[in-house]
Amino acid sequence: MNSETLNTLDSYSKNKYKYGFVTEIDNEKPKKGLNEETIKFISLKKNEPEWMLDWRLKAYSKWKKMKEPKWANLNFPDIDYQAIYYYSAPKGFEKKPKDLSEVDPKLIETYNKLGIPLEEQKVLAGVAVDVVFDSVSVATTYKGQLEKLGIIFCSIGEAIQKHPDLIKKYLGSVIPPGDHSFSALNSAVFTDGSFVYIPEGVKCPMELSTYFRINAENTGQFERTLIIADKGSYVSYLEGCTAPKRDDNQLHAANVELIALEDAEIKYSTVQNWYPGDEDGKGGIYNFVTKRGLCAGKNSKISWTQVETGSAITWKYPSCILKGDNSIGEFYSVAITNNFQQADTGTKMTHIGKNTKSKIISKGISLGKSQNTYRGEVSFLRKAEKARNYTQCDSLLVGNQCGAHTVPYIDSKNNTAIIEHEASTSKINEDQLYYCRQRGLSHEEAVSLIVNGFCKQVLQELPMEFAVEAQKLVSISLEGSVG
Amino acid sequence: MNIQDNFIKNKKNIFFSENKYIQNHREKLINIFENDRFDKKNNESLKNINLKHFIDFKYKYLISEETSVINSNQENSYSIVSVNGQCSSFKDDKIEITKILDEDYNDFIKNDTIDKNDHFVNLNSLFLNSGFKIIIKKNNNIKIKISNIITDDDLTIFQKNNYICEEGSSLNLIEEYENKNNSTLNILNVIRLEKNSKLNHFLIQDNSSNHNLIVTSHSSCKKDSTYTQKVYNFSEGYVRNFHYSELIETNSEADLQGIFFLKDNNTSNNKTFVKHSAEDCKSNQVYKGILNDRAKATYFSNTYVDQLAQKTEGYQLSKGILLSDNASYFSKPELKIFADDVKCSHGSTIGPIDENAIFYLRSRGMSKNAATKILISSFINEELSSIDNEQMSEMIQKKLVRYLSKVK
Repeated sequence: MNSETLNTLDSYSKNKYKYGFVTEIDNEKPKKGLNEETIKFISLKKNEPEWMLDWRLKAYSKWKKMKEPKWANLNFPDIDYQAIYYYSAPKGFEKKPKDLSEVDPKLIETYNKLGIPLEEQKVLAGVAVDVVFDSVSVATTYKGQLEKLGIIFCSIGEAIQKHPDLIKKYLGSVIPPGDHSFSALNSAVFTDGSFVYIPEGVKCPMELSTYFRINAENTGQFERTLIIADKGSYVSYLEGCTAPKRDDNQLHAANVELIALEDAEIKYSTVQNWYPGDEDGKGGIYNFVTKRGLCAGKNSKISWTQVETGSAITWKYPSCILKGDNSIGEFYSVAITNNFQQADTGTKMTHIGKNTKSKIISKGISLGKSQNTYRGEVSFLRKAEKARNYTQCDSLLVGNQCGAHTVPYIDSKNNTAIIEHEASTSKINEDQLYYCRQRGLSHEEAVSLIVNGFCKQVLQELPMEFAVEAQKLVSISLEGSVG
Repeated sequence: MNIQDNFIKNKKNIFFSENKYIQNHREKLINIFENDRFDKKNNESLKNINLKHFIDFKYKYLISEETSVINSNQENSYSIVSVNGQCSSFKDDKIEITKILDEDYNDFIKNDTIDKNDHFVNLNSLFLNSGFKIIIKKNNNIKIKISNIITDDDLTIFQKNNYICEEGSSLNLIEEYENKNNSTLNILNVIRLEKNSKLNHFLIQDNSSNHNLIVTSHSSCKKDSTYTQKVYNFSEGYVRNFHYSELIETNSEADLQGIFFLKDNNTSNNKTFVKHSAEDCKSNQVYKGILNDRAKATYFSNTYVDQLAQKTEGYQLSKGILLSDNASYFSKPELKIFADDVKCSHGSTIGPIDENAIFYLRSRGMSKNAATKILISSFINEELSSIDNEQMSEMIQKKLVRYLSKVK
């Protein structure tokens, strides 16, 4: 290793998880642990109507009877659900601030560190942000303009108050609370998240975005996002995640439901950069996320794009149910694991309607001592005539102590449907590396360049704001393990 | 009758029931059955299977009056007729055939490649009632053809065969399963390839619709050895082909291939598993299936690359053609890789016959039926043309023609 590489490595090792700061704000929490009291406390704090509490309690009673799904290729100690705070809100947040000047300056500072364009000049960049700080939505910018178009973009708590009809109709319709234990848990204790409704024929003029951040210690974050795109509408939604550095493991079990009606299109992009734990595998977020989209109407389209670089454990399968005829589902994913991270991620495409199409592009990169698994299911049901799927999942291994695994499930019950699947696993091509080095790039830079090229198919699907951040993240995630 | 009662009642007919160690192992197996209760949800190997048939079976085994025949017709060429899983002993300077012994069974218990919850293998260990062991002696080049004959109806045969290819030997093994009676044959082949040995293994399966066949094999390859397996499944009854291969020393190769032709209500479950434990090894897993009527098939393929197994090349390919609305195919091509200097890939396709190709042939004046048949034949042509044994090639062609005659 030459001195240049050593220098780069040095600078990288100093440049660790830069979002690992803690904002010191008083938090208001119920007692630790999960029981009916906690759920009632949450419901009360959020000033929820009776039917919502019932819904939560029903989910809780289901959860009590369920076991965690164990089929994933993950290894972690049992989660003690009674050692977690299920609600955490900065004090004095029962009443929402009306504009940014009323928000605690410390909070604003936090968001500035995260680089969220909350301030006025950044709003000009055209991003409307619904910021979730721990469990309460802090401020929603750009609301006025959206309201004019009839778009509803608010926290889910607000939506329960103001739009109970939509919530009653759609909440839990794609992910039933009893689907599996994490969805039941989320349904029982979800605190906040976003709600989006795009009315008929409206193309949302800007990208909507939420930035989640787990701040308080020992809190689980259980957000619930519900996006409904009515006939002929279009929306692009961004989600970004970071968390402070702590030695304990924190739990994050989110549920995201998307519903696309006739001719509607939803594009959902995630950059997940939760704290992955340190070099020895201590700490980090347990990320158990259920994301599911329903293409309910004809010609509808749902597209998931994700860049997963963080979390000690990732358990995440954004999936599409292609129910409407001619509907389209897409899944683009980059998952990078380093040190002791474990990721079991992929997708599920269920083809029900005629002429439905789906496309899966998954890129996994494992470094250090990490384990990276792609797990995906593509199924064609009896009536999915002329359905079509193309799947490509590639894995890249850097170092000989990590693992890359591919576990696809392919099920076809229709003889006019065509399914193609291909996957490959290899290490970084020596010739490519040699070529880059010859042109004067350092080893680190060369690896970073090749990895970015390897992921390009996915990164180019991201909206502009995210693409740059994602590229940087990819480089940062490679730090210290190359050379 | 449940498994435990069955076992207790028929203990005296089962091999090695005197051996304490084996007895202990069997008790553990019974416990597995008791606890698991054939839980389909968590056991992929049970997908699409009518379990009742295999749990509540009536144990019946008899040693037939017909005796097995071993002929050495040409030089280095043997043909064996095994009757109800039994084969008489034989010995010359090239091969040796004996009964299986306690220690062969013991050796196998220690192997952990095969899933502990593979109930069919467990049933085989529990009710073992027949089997033999063939040793190919050093530096010999041998051809063997084995016909597995089952004499009576309602028999349940649990057979275990051991094959040992000693250093530098080469074996061409053809196994035929052509039975027309209402019996179940559960057979486990344990194959050991010593240094620089080679085994070409052909399995031709063509049973009637009331006959169940469960074939499991486990092969382990030492330095510079090669194991090639080709399965041709034309059976009208249920067939399960689970084949495991372990590459335990450098520069060894495993090639597991199969084609299956299903129709009516038939089901077939297939699995291949290659474990790379040493450097510089190659593996290949290719399965192709044609499914007509209401047929169902599953295919699991798996390449496992140990951390030590650098410079591995492992390929998988699975292709399925669905000829009818009601046929279904499930495939799960899995890669588990713990080493970085590897080239591994898998490909999987399921679909109908290419419409453009049909159109092309029809525009040349062919009927739709003839076009379909030509395209099916070409789909598997690669596998058929690679058979270098003329007699076998002809036989398989005949079976293919028989299958195609039912395709509309």
